Amino acid sequence: MATYTPLEPAQPWIQVQATQEDWGSADPALLATMLGQLHLIRAFEETVLELAGEGLVHGPAHSSIGQEGGAVGSAVGLRSSDAVNGSHRGHHQFLAKALGYVAPNGLDLQQLVTPDISTVLDKTLAEILGLARGFCKGRGGSMHLQWHDAGALGTNAIVGGGVPLAAGNAFAQKRAGTSDLTVTYFGDGAVNIGSVLESMNLTSAWDIPLIFFIENNLYAVSTTVEEATGEPRLSGRGVGFAIPSFRVDGMDPLSVYLTMQKAEEYVRAGNGPAVIEAEVYRFFHQNGAFPGSAFGYRSKEEEESWRARDPLTMMADQMKALGLINDEIVASVRQQAQEAMSAVAATLVEQDPEGKPGVRRIRPDLWPEPSFVDVGVRGDLSELSGARTQERSDYTGEVIEVRFVDAVADVMDRNMSADDRILVLGEDIHRLKGGTNGATKGLAEKFPDRILGTPISENAFTGLGGGLALDGRYRPVVEFMYPDFMWVAADQVFNQIGKARHMFGGESAVPLVLRTKVAMGSGYGSQHLMDPAGIFATAPGWRIMAASNPYDYVGMMNAALACDDPVLMIEHVDLYMTKGEIPAEGLDYQIPYGTASLVREGSEMTVLTYMSMVNHTRDALDSTGIEADLVDLRFLDRASLDWDTVGESIRKTNNVLIVEQGAVGTSYGGWLADEIQRRFFDYLDQPVQRVTGSEASPSISKVLERAAIAQTAEVEAGLRRVIAAKGAR
Amino acid sequence: MASVVRMPEVLAGATEAVLSTWSVAEGTEVAVGDVLAEIETEKATVEYQAEEAGTLARFLIQPGDSADVGTPIAIFTAPGDDDAEISRALADAGVNSAAAAEAAPTLVELTPSPSIAEPQASLVVDQQPALVPSASRLFASPLVRRLARESGVDLATVTGTGPGGRIVRKDFDAHQARTSAAPAGTVVAVAPGPPRNPAGYVEVAHTGMRKAIARRLSESKSTVPHFYLSADCRVDRLVQVRSEVNAAKGVKYSLNDWVVKAVAMAFMEVPDANVIWGDTAMRRFDSADISVAVATEGGLFTPVIRGVESMSLGAVNTAIAEAAGRARSGTIKQEEIEGGSFAVTNLGMYGTTEFAAIINPPQWGILAVGAATQRPVVENGSLAVGSVMTVTLSADHRAVDGALAAQWLAAFQRHIENPVGLLL
Repeated sequence: MATYTPLEPAQPWIQVQATQEDWGSADPALLATMLGQLHLIRAFEETVLELAGEGLVHGPAHSSIGQEGGAVGSAVGLRSSDAVNGSHRGHHQFLAKALGYVAPNGLDLQQLVTPDISTVLDKTLAEILGLARGFCKGRGGSMHLQWHDAGALGTNAIVGGGVPLAAGNAFAQKRAGTSDLTVTYFGDGAVNIGSVLESMNLTSAWDIPLIFFIENNLYAVSTTVEEATGEPRLSGRGVGFAIPSFRVDGMDPLSVYLTMQKAEEYVRAGNGPAVIEAEVYRFFHQNGAFPGSAFGYRSKEEEESWRARDPLTMMADQMKALGLINDEIVASVRQQAQEAMSAVAATLVEQDPEGKPGVRRIRPDLWPEPSFVDVGVRGDLSELSGARTQERSDYTGEVIEVRFVDAVADVMDRNMSADDRILVLGEDIHRLKGGTNGATKGLAEKFPDRILGTPISENAFTGLGGGLALDGRYRPVVEFMYPDFMWVAADQVFNQIGKARHMFGGESAVPLVLRTKVAMGSGYGSQHLMDPAGIFATAPGWRIMAASNPYDYVGMMNAALACDDPVLMIEHVDLYMTKGEIPAEGLDYQIPYGTASLVREGSEMTVLTYMSMVNHTRDALDSTGIEADLVDLRFLDRASLDWDTVGESIRKTNNVLIVEQGAVGTSYGGWLADEIQRRFFDYLDQPVQRVTGSEASPSISKVLERAAIAQTAEVEAGLRRVIAAKGAR
Repeated sequence: MASVVRMPEVLAGATEAVLSTWSVAEGTEVAVGDVLAEIETEKATVEYQAEEAGTLARFLIQPGDSADVGTPIAIFTAPGDDDAEISRALADAGVNSAAAAEAAPTLVELTPSPSIAEPQASLVVDQQPALVPSASRLFASPLVRRLARESGVDLATVTGTGPGGRIVRKDFDAHQARTSAAPAGTVVAVAPGPPRNPAGYVEVAHTGMRKAIARRLSESKSTVPHFYLSADCRVDRLVQVRSEVNAAKGVKYSLNDWVVKAVAMAFMEVPDANVIWGDTAMRRFDSADISVAVATEGGLFTPVIRGVESMSLGAVNTAIAEAAGRARSGTIKQEEIEGGSFAVTNLGMYGTTEFAAIINPPQWGILAVGAATQRPVVENGSLAVGSVMTVTLSADHRAVDGALAAQWLAAFQRHIENPVGLLL
């Protein structure tokens, strides 16, 4: 008969409850600060709901009324250099961290609202209303509140989406040698999301100082936690990843505070992450000023029972019992908070001159200028000014011939030697003599703690890279083994990293390089063989580069690593084994940013292409004898494309062929053709023609794979098609 | 009784037309003269009126559809006609009544529909939609529209050879070259950069000029009954007089100037030969308007020198030089290269001693002038050396008979052999 031995989790799972003794021994100043913060946040949220009720909050107003205890209890003890981020319901966490930053010595209940606090309330409310003087210049609104100086990394409207970024911030804190930590707040709805669970795993594996703070308010909109999971005690998730996990009554700020103390002790000591589950209750529905019972998913009785445990009342009662305050002080605190908010609101809204008395409107001069709409989608590239640029045609020194893939490793080696901020993350990049293709060859041996083989969890490690980049102390390089994995990490790639700078006001640098390789022709089939350029070209924020030869690659990677925006560097397996010349000494040059390369000149047409298709096009021009301008675009995104070179050629030839290899649906050339027909309509003698793969993603079968992609034969056909449409004369 | 309305022949010779709009709704009762529809051809849009009273019961094509002339486009009913009557009319017209009920344009050549081209190679599938020409509007590439706007060209005068008849840059360029060139000069334009061909030959695409030459000269040679007369002209005196005149006046009249003048004088002497052939009548001219070939970089132009009979040799020389200058600078006008009853072509400068040329209709003749060379000649029974220039007249037998042509050629020979007369 088998033996059955109970197994124990590697880390404990603990319920925490403050005792009366704890209340008695608590620092009265700490309790006063918590009471003051609770009231400021409550008054703030009431003002938001009041304005929302008047139709002055554009979009949802996710109120935290009822949940203030968890945020205040957890944030009140944090350092300014600690960081927090949160979710769509994040006003209370943001304010708790910001108030702690502007009032590091606590709050004075007699003089609750200092000018600094008033400013915080003003800039936060202005942001929620979408006004220019908000923390993110009105871009972020209620769900994207960021104040870097205060350690508020930015709240996030994607459920669980901010968690990997918080892991990256915590990783930066750890690598910088500090004992700082990051708290990531999210709700019961987020706990079943891959980003959260992947991040628990990754932070546990790498001992990253992150506290997962689950606000379990029992409802994901209207879906109950019991409906959503078989283990509604959500802190149980942490134990499975060997993370010490705590459960606490979130309506009791002191209990939360004590739980945080315990978790912080473990995390700051370098042991890795902790999980805290605080049971809280939002008094209102998901958003707006009506209770959940009005929507029928919970009862008034249940709401009454939770309202009876209001953290503001609980805090005041305990302090009164300890003789620290009386009803008069409580009423004064409440009044000070309300008056402060009335004053703030009065500076943002005014009587609507066209409305009835009492009808208010946003003060018109406070809106952002419409022209601000695209400012800061990317940076201004000032960080590249003064860089040493050098084209192959300009270089006359000694050269060596190398394989493309070795140039990939060489230029990374050179940059990592010169700049210890660079970290490389990816699957198997630290083994197999340089990863699956040798692109990190020799680097793991030379930089063992900077070439980081990740678990297979693209959302977590990509988001971690994003968090590292946003922190500013590191310049991460993330590798996707295959480009199709971007779909797995799509939230981090597109919603988070690509949008971060713009969404939070346009000023945060996101210096991240994402490397990946196109592998069409390698037989890896439908889910590995895309060209990601087309999809990334649709995404704001990203810059895209693709080199056709080792010399260009070196100069473009140097630019990518120096750039303060996220850069996708696309490589191709067909090119890895090809050889080309690079300088024997001195790899520290950049290709002039945003310039295409005119590889060949000819009058028949302009061929626009990139990466491996440059070679296929060259071959096709040779075999057909057609003379065309062959433009290697090199810099592919909307902001970086070399319109000068492209335009000059189109004005000369009047005929355009865009050549790429991959499936037509996700292809790159669509936006480019669109832009060309609008910019150069009067110079075109025929529609912009294109060479792409088929609609199907390339199959495993060698014949079907070949049929699905474009190579030299398809380029030849495309060239002939253009010639044919030039007329019969 | 129900009847079928067919696409009318709006314009003589038109084979198809486009229904722009139905002017009345389906089922409308109309009187004689009511406008039923607007019908458009390349040249005109006309109102199509009812020829009898009745009801326009069914539309068989939709606005924008193009249909061959004679194609049923609607069913017309008389009072009392029922559905059966309509069905019969449809059947008579060869229209499936179910399809017609939906006004499905099954009978008409229609508008672009996607079709799959033959794969060009086993792995290359070219899925470009086929383009079908439309009579309803003119297609020109954006580039051509801009060029036409800038140079004031009416694109209706340009024929397109791009997909679906689109006017593309090559068409425009060819049109520009043609309008500034001779209508039928022996122009050979060199196509830029012919594609290299591994088969051992190259294919040089036809230029518009090349095609025009081929078409016109094939037509001339196959429809104009040519006959040929040659004469060996003694030009010792012409050579002598020319060099004396050139020396005396400090000018450089070419031999060709003298030939053109002699041609004109021959017409004055044989006015019956100064004609062109027409379908119903011969047209006879009073003055001698002679086409002269001028070589330029862009090809050969044949400006017409008018009234040569009354010009001095110097004036002929000047007129030819000025026309040549305009031809070379591209400023020659269309009217300068139109007209004339006769042409002179001269290959003497290449050493050609004798050749025959093809007539450029509607002119009746062309004189092919060879090189003046020293040849053995018989003078008074003994052999001597003389300057001889062989000329060959190609004549249109419809316009000029052999005797008349011979008369004219003899007159020419007399004048060219007595050059002093040409100076008068």
